[in-house]
Amino acid sequence: MKSDLIPGKHVVATDFDGGEGIIVDLNTKKYYQLNETAMVVWKGLEKGKSMGEIVADITSTYEVPADQATSSVQRIVDNFQTYKLLGAS
Amino acid sequence: MLQDLKGWLPVDAVVVDGRPGLMWMEMSGVSLTEPFFQQTVERARRENRAELFTEFDVLLQLEKQLESVQPSGFIFHSSRCGSTLVANACRAVSNSIVLSEANAIDKLIARFITDADNSVKESLYSVFLRGVVHALAQRRTGTEQHLFIKFACCSFAQFERIKRIWPAVPWLFLYRDPVETVVSNMRDAPPWLIDNDRRVLSSIIGDTSEMSLEELCARTIGSLFSTAYKLANANSMLLNYNQLSVPVIANVLNFFNVSLSSEELETIARTSEVYSKEVSGTRAFVADVDAKQKLASDLVREMSDRWAGEPYRLLENRVNPV
Repeated sequence: MKSDLIPGKHVVATDFDGGEGIIVDLNTKKYYQLNETAMVVWKGLEKGKSMGEIVADITSTYEVPADQATSSVQRIVDNFQTYKLLGAS
Repeated sequence: MLQDLKGWLPVDAVVVDGRPGLMWMEMSGVSLTEPFFQQTVERARRENRAELFTEFDVLLQLEKQLESVQPSGFIFHSSRCGSTLVANACRAVSNSIVLSEANAIDKLIARFITDADNSVKESLYSVFLRGVVHALAQRRTGTEQHLFIKFACCSFAQFERIKRIWPAVPWLFLYRDPVETVVSNMRDAPPWLIDNDRRVLSSIIGDTSEMSLEELCARTIGSLFSTAYKLANANSMLLNYNQLSVPVIANVLNFFNVSLSSEELETIARTSEVYSKEVSGTRAFVADVDAKQKLASDLVREMSDRWAGEPYRLLENRVNPV
């Protein structure tokens, strides 16, 4: 199932320093630094992946239990929403 | 708007109405043929090319849209030591882009010192720097294959941050006898040495107050020598001005993974016979080692020896055979 959470059209992301990244909200001109996990979540959302698929990406890359990965992904997505970085699909 | 920036180059890092950003100029069809990038900008400005200001976020968008050339080699130097000659030689390589002390690059590097007071800002300015290089190295004709960047001398002090962005790019550090370097800088003081804003120099040598220009210069180049000595590795080449010759410059380009044709070698030989910094390329090059040594005052000699003598000797002992 695809996620109905997608990055806002007003947001641009770029990789930096291996897995980390920077995103900018073009409306507010605010910049956010993303750690490796947040960048995996962001890229997953860009590809239209579901939360479950993103969690699977994380558990297959890092040694982390599924429940812990799920709560991390949820927290990161909540932050994206709080800062109005996501748009409607 | 972004599509309209194809063919535009960031020509300066500026602050407009309190907003830091970039000044862009429409440079379609303008070859970067002058010894310094800003000389090309001045030529284009005389043609009344259009200019506009944007904030830095445009760079992140352009990185995804503009096709660009990745760096082949970096040229660092300790001032007045033949780096422009080497940059001009790089320009002789077919399908090359040479960015020689472009304001937008070196001013952004200076922002690491003046603005990046935490890790988030440091990452941000790193992304902006990468974006500025991407924009400057955009494929404007479609045939470009090589990108060479010559940085302003003080930018070398930020080498580790530059390396973090481009860890695999081979780099050259050019240097020269400190007495000759200081003499040259005293006769024609460059902006980095006489800038009232001493934040960049302070980051290199510490407290800059209460000292002669000779001492300031000697301490700066001594610090750059020490940095080069400390950071030199298999991905670097150290080169003294007194070693420069056409075969050695060809070696530098080989080190940058460029194979030269006989025509390109001939062009390099011709360009090395003229004074490297003159736009017209008509003034003959004259070796000036003896003249510089004769002009050195006692103060120049004292300061050069005290602040740059030992790191110079260390570099000389470490220098790569070429």
